[in-house]
Amino acid sequence: MDELCLSQWCGWQKHGEDRPDTPQLLPSDGPGKSLPAMLRRRLDDAGRATCDILASLDSGAELPLLHASRHGDATRTLAMLHDLIAGEALSPTRFSLSVHNATLGIHSIARQHQRPLQALSACGNEFDALLSEARGYLAEGYPAVVIAFTEGDIPKEYLGHTEHPGKACAVGMRLSLNEGHKLVAGASGNSLPRPTPIDIIEWLCGAGKTPIGRHGWTLA
Amino acid sequence: MMSETQQLSLDLKRMIIDTLELEDITPDDIDEDAPLFGEGLGLDSIDALELGLALQKRYGVKLDAEAEDTRRHFASLAALRALVEAHRDV
Repeated sequence: MDELCLSQWCGWQKHGEDRPDTPQLLPSDGPGKSLPAMLRRRLDDAGRATCDILASLDSGAELPLLHASRHGDATRTLAMLHDLIAGEALSPTRFSLSVHNATLGIHSIARQHQRPLQALSACGNEFDALLSEARGYLAEGYPAVVIAFTEGDIPKEYLGHTEHPGKACAVGMRLSLNEGHKLVAGASGNSLPRPTPIDIIEWLCGAGKTPIGRHGWTLA
Repeated sequence: MMSETQQLSLDLKRMIIDTLELEDITPDDIDEDAPLFGEGLGLDSIDALELGLALQKRYGVKLDAEAEDTRRHFASLAALRALVEAHRDV
């Protein structure tokens, strides 16, 4: 089987602590610096941070980009459902951005990115799904792929009804077949908790020594 | 004392800024006669739909997205103000 290697990563958390020893973490405040103001206004903080992460890991806008989010922008989606119940007309802007690939779309316009873009949701198994899809693009011959995993703020109505990291967060990784640390799969079908972006950030901060995800990934 | 026209201009500018979530833009930044779309303020087609909805909710002005007139009404802040004033006079 082809190796999967991690050469670079980047993370973001809302209300995160300063960690000067971890330059891979973006500042918590004011995400969206990679976007012009007229596009930035379209996304929430998690979407903005995702664009910053993608821009940092694919600065030349030349790699396939894969973006996963389990819940997407649930706050705006729920607000639209409330409007529908109240018989209100839906905001055209909110409606147009309620698709799962909205963040990638905004990013691609801002960076004039013209390579493959893919949005995923995988019921909590986003990390493994991203690695699996990334492997597919690399097998097609792309030199590297950038993956990102994001969770936005969750509306209070959903709290306790689904797994959520508790705050908005995002993490991105640049993967290839031969550059950087090898990702090694452990025993599959284990009972590890399904990782959120924050879990993956902590895993990367710990140099990937503890197994994570459905396949029990570690970094060699 | 602000004239009725000036007040309506200010209200429309605030509506545009709030509705379209324009960051770092104040009413003073919106030129009455500059184009709202493309050049000038730089709004896009989704903004046009959003503004159409806001005009309907706030002033009861209904616009047909397909009509040629709509393009003229959205040409500038002054044109938008004239539209709302004309609707009030009916």
